[in-house]
Amino acid sequence: MKTKPFAAPYAVWMLLFTIVPIALVAAYSFTTADGALTLRNMANFLDPIYITVLLRSLGIALLCTLICLLVGYPAAYVLAQKDFDKKGVLVLLFVIPMWMNFLLRTYAWLTLLESNGLITSTVNRVIEFFGGQGNVRLLYNYGAVLMGMVYNYLPFMVLPLYTSLSRLDRRVVEAAEDLGANRSQVFLRVVFPLSVPGIFSGVTMVFMPAITTFVISRLLGGAQFKLFGDLIEQQFLFTGNWNFGSAMSLIMMVLLLLSMSIMNRYGDQEGGGIF
Amino acid sequence: MSVVEQQHLIDLVDLTKVYDGETEALSRMNLYIRKKEFVTLLGPSGCGKTTTLRLIAGFEFPTAGQVYFEGKEISSLPPYRRHVNTVFQKYALFPHMNVFENIAFGLRLKKVDESTINARVAEMLEMVNLRGFGRRKVDTLSGGQQQRVAIARALANRPEVLLLDEPLGALDLKLRKEMQIELKAMQQQLGITFVYVTHDQEEALTMSDTIVVMKEGLVQQIGSPICIYNEPKNAFVADFIGESNILPGTMLHDELVSFEGHDFICVDRGFGENQPVDVVIRPEDVQLCAPNDGMLRGTVASIVFKGVHYEMMIQTGGFAFMVHSTLAKAPGEEVGLRIVPFDIHIMKREAAL
Repeated sequence: MKTKPFAAPYAVWMLLFTIVPIALVAAYSFTTADGALTLRNMANFLDPIYITVLLRSLGIALLCTLICLLVGYPAAYVLAQKDFDKKGVLVLLFVIPMWMNFLLRTYAWLTLLESNGLITSTVNRVIEFFGGQGNVRLLYNYGAVLMGMVYNYLPFMVLPLYTSLSRLDRRVVEAAEDLGANRSQVFLRVVFPLSVPGIFSGVTMVFMPAITTFVISRLLGGAQFKLFGDLIEQQFLFTGNWNFGSAMSLIMMVLLLLSMSIMNRYGDQEGGGIF
Repeated sequence: MSVVEQQHLIDLVDLTKVYDGETEALSRMNLYIRKKEFVTLLGPSGCGKTTTLRLIAGFEFPTAGQVYFEGKEISSLPPYRRHVNTVFQKYALFPHMNVFENIAFGLRLKKVDESTINARVAEMLEMVNLRGFGRRKVDTLSGGQQQRVAIARALANRPEVLLLDEPLGALDLKLRKEMQIELKAMQQQLGITFVYVTHDQEEALTMSDTIVVMKEGLVQQIGSPICIYNEPKNAFVADFIGESNILPGTMLHDELVSFEGHDFICVDRGFGENQPVDVVIRPEDVQLCAPNDGMLRGTVASIVFKGVHYEMMIQTGGFAFMVHSTLAKAPGEEVGLRIVPFDIHIMKREAAL
């Protein structure tokens, strides 16, 4: 039986909503508002203002990915233990936030972190209690944005790591112990190397949305704190310069493709990658 | 002298393992293993043989009882502090390492210097006939080759005891036979103790110095292959080791047993008079003769060619005997059966088989 025709609906979908838009973005990038060919949009991007924002986005995305990895790995490791009896509860704790729209979750942080919000006022009370000046502000800064990003993207790190760690053959761990490896040696020489594919797909799944973040930064970072995603949004929605916005999108896409291909070169040895 | 005899390498004392507070996988097992002995734990799945092996390796800890190694208790030591190494059923090779690194794993942990590692790994590869395979990735090897790497890896540490958990189970028959001979030769050449787990009675008979037959967590019989084959302690052992005809009989008095309506002279004593017993007769011990010359008379129900012999089912009055013979008889043919006293084994009647 021929099965190819069954893929037709998806192929049409991809064509209409992925390939055509990308082609349009590419077309806009190299034209002026009048439709004439130009490299102006690309040249405009080399302005230090934009480069600074790009580097800031890159920096915060890398930091967010690193924190997610450091927080997510131990969590996934504990979850993957066969004899861990609270597994159901913990998995639920990771999954429940994903039932809710990320915008709502981010608004919740906004409420918690504002000057008279629960967290900020508690922190200030405590500082006053110890005789300090309780005027700490937790919202509208780098930390708040990073916090919001880690909070939103952490499950994307934990789930692939959990999958890769729970697939690990228990006998292989026993073999290592049998040959004289203590717990930390088992981890360093066997468990960790075998979880590398999971790390790669976790890092990919966090880094991609992290570098294109825009709403979290606007809500929790305030008007002054712009990430690359905010710049693109601004060009399309406020400035109305679709051509420059497209150029920036294209640059972002190329950067992502480059980093993904580098990741894949190291990541696809054992399978478990997302591509 | 302590509880534990000095010449014993491993002693299991009242070893008991209960899983999840209810399933008793192993119950009050007592066993000693001497230096350079080849001990096989034999039994059907769920008999506790693998549990015993895992308790010796340290992957499990006993619910009650003790494991001694050279007279010192090791029951609660983690695996990495025991002088035993394991060959796993499905090899459990490290997939992220090549053959060389797999074999060198234990040596690297011991911080052995590089030249010693190179020499030892080469020696191990030589021993398992895998010279030149060092750089190969483990997933490019066949099952038999992976098994050899697993054996080399476990032996590279020069353990005093090698534990083998059904190591040949996944190999085809021909390869299995070859490996049986190689393993036995290796064990004798290296002079180390092997504790071997299998459900294959033929494998156990071929390789072992001592066989421990187990069933439902209980040791049924411990003895040499010859002793276990010729003098099975109960019907279970008789049935599990080789094929057997097991039929009900009555011990009339010493050296006389009645079954299938005929009185047979046998060599067993001490069962009392008119005691119900189980009679065990190996298929190769039933001799065929002319219908009127036999002790029993039967009709051939079926015949199958097995290579060296024919396997026939012969129906007598109330029992179908399995008979192995080099003589072929046609189905429906009447034959006589003879059994000499020495080949009749009498066992205490079991409540349920």
